[in-house]
Amino acid sequence: MGAYLQPDTLDEALGILAREPVTIAAGCTDLFAATESQSLNGTVLDVTRIEGLRRIAKDATGWRIGAASTWSDVIAADLPPAFDMLKQAAREVGSVQIQNAGTVAGNICNASPAADGVPPLLSLDAHVEIGAKGGPREVPLAEFLTAPRATVLMPGEMVTAIRIPDVSDKGESRFSKLGARKYLVISIVMVAARLHVQDGFVRDIALSVGACGPVATRLAALEEALRGTPLAGLPDRLQPDLIASALTPITDMRASDEYRREAAVHLLRRVLDDLTLMRSPV
Amino acid sequence: MTLSISLSVNGESLNVPLEDTRTTLLDLLREHIGLTGTKKGCDRGQCGACTVLLDGKRINACLTLAASVDGTDVTTIEGLAQGDTLHPVQAAFIEHDGFQCGYCTTGQIMSAVGLLSEGDAGADPERIREGMSGNICRCAAYPGITAAVLDAERRQSESEGTSV
Ligand SMILES: Cc1cc2nc3c(=O)[nH]c(=O)nc-3n(C[C@H](O)[C@H](O)[C@H](O)COP(=O)(O)OP(=O)(O)OC[C@H]3O[C@@H](n4cnc5c(N)ncnc54)[C@H](O)[C@@H]3O)c2cc1C
Ligand code: FES
Ligand code: FES
Repeated sequence: MGAYLQPDTLDEALGILAREPVTIAAGCTDLFAATESQSLNGTVLDVTRIEGLRRIAKDATGWRIGAASTWSDVIAADLPPAFDMLKQAAREVGSVQIQNAGTVAGNICNASPAADGVPPLLSLDAHVEIGAKGGPREVPLAEFLTAPRATVLMPGEMVTAIRIPDVSDKGESRFSKLGARKYLVISIVMVAARLHVQDGFVRDIALSVGACGPVATRLAALEEALRGTPLAGLPDRLQPDLIASALTPITDMRASDEYRREAAVHLLRRVLDDLTLMRSPV
Repeated sequence: MTLSISLSVNGESLNVPLEDTRTTLLDLLREHIGLTGTKKGCDRGQCGACTVLLDGKRINACLTLAASVDGTDVTTIEGLAQGDTLHPVQAAFIEHDGFQCGYCTTGQIMSAVGLLSEGDAGADPERIREGMSGNICRCAAYPGITAAVLDAERRQSESEGTSV
């Protein structure tokens, strides 16, 4: 039987990681589905009791979501409206039982194309803080995820936090997910939008689509086209071709590629409708 | 090599040896401790039959490694009643016919106890259905379950004097 290690400090954890190959375990809600039996044979490193790793707080440069923070911790945290999309996604991850155990960091490390945490975090310009015995490094989330189930994490490394830069906690936000039913589903398409309006114009906009390609993606060309335009009529200026060109959806048992492409446009329109209605004077 | 964990189950302190790090909390409760009230439905987080409270929060015992619960406080269905007096949620499930075959019921009740202590369901049936959506009932006793949880919620807020 392999050992089960539950260190109290990050130093201890990084020491273990440098010493031997381990399976990192947080909420275990993905690990179990993935491993029926084989890969838990070696040493398991439980990161949930590491001091300070379950904190969600703001510092001089932005927000820090500690790697052991659960979805329920995110829902309960006092965060600005730019994070509403992350909270909405949190409420739709599995069930409350799953949200009480599953972590945001586990969601991105698992790197499923359908991970609900990824589009909101992309729209918040999230960076991933990685710890290792030799010292920490930080990479943008978009670079952290390389392919389905693959990340840039190297042996000996673990995620210690997700960071949201100060400049990106502005504006209001919305998340929307399409699944075959309301709860306990794998997303067919999900979108996350953050809109920062100033004097009736789009000061900044961040749009992300998930489950429409190997990894979730920002719609950079469309965002560029919308920045600086008036808020009025914004949803009508969503250009389907700029959305379609950013996506590479697949056909699987849940939906066809065409359906996904079209659904992405509709979901984006819906969240922008919501966000603009909220802002316009009644 | 054996691993040994200490935990409190329904208020009783236990010390349990584990032969395998892969043992789940669900198997620990059912096979090692002999508390079979917690049920195994899917064994993969999808049905909620194995719901227990871990330090007061509802979780799926089938997705929890037993080794990870060292030092925690676990409450199962067996720990709800006080002697012969049922927990208000248990009583409400009986009154409102919140079950048919009963297989999902212990998980439903533990989940409802967790939901009520989270304190944000209120008296809205839709919020209750959302809050209980991690618990599947193959007999579809959902109307009775929702009625039972609503009633338990009402009684709890009356007894706390926090009626809205
Ligand atoms: C019934 C059910 C429903 C679900 N529904 C959804 C859903 O609707 N949407 C969704 O997105 N997901 C869903 N999931 C998947 C899962 O719950 C989430 O992805 C969750 O956030 C994973 O977090 P965890 O802490 O449980 O990760 P774990 O299972 O502990 O770990 C997942 C992976 O990440 C690695 N890892 C974890 N933490 C770190 C770290 N700090 N550093 C490096 N590597 C790490 C682990 O080694 C493992 O490979 C569901 C799962 C189940 C069982
Ligand atoms: S047995 Fe645990 S959720 Fe089904
Ligand atoms: S009462 Fe039979 S499964 Fe719910």
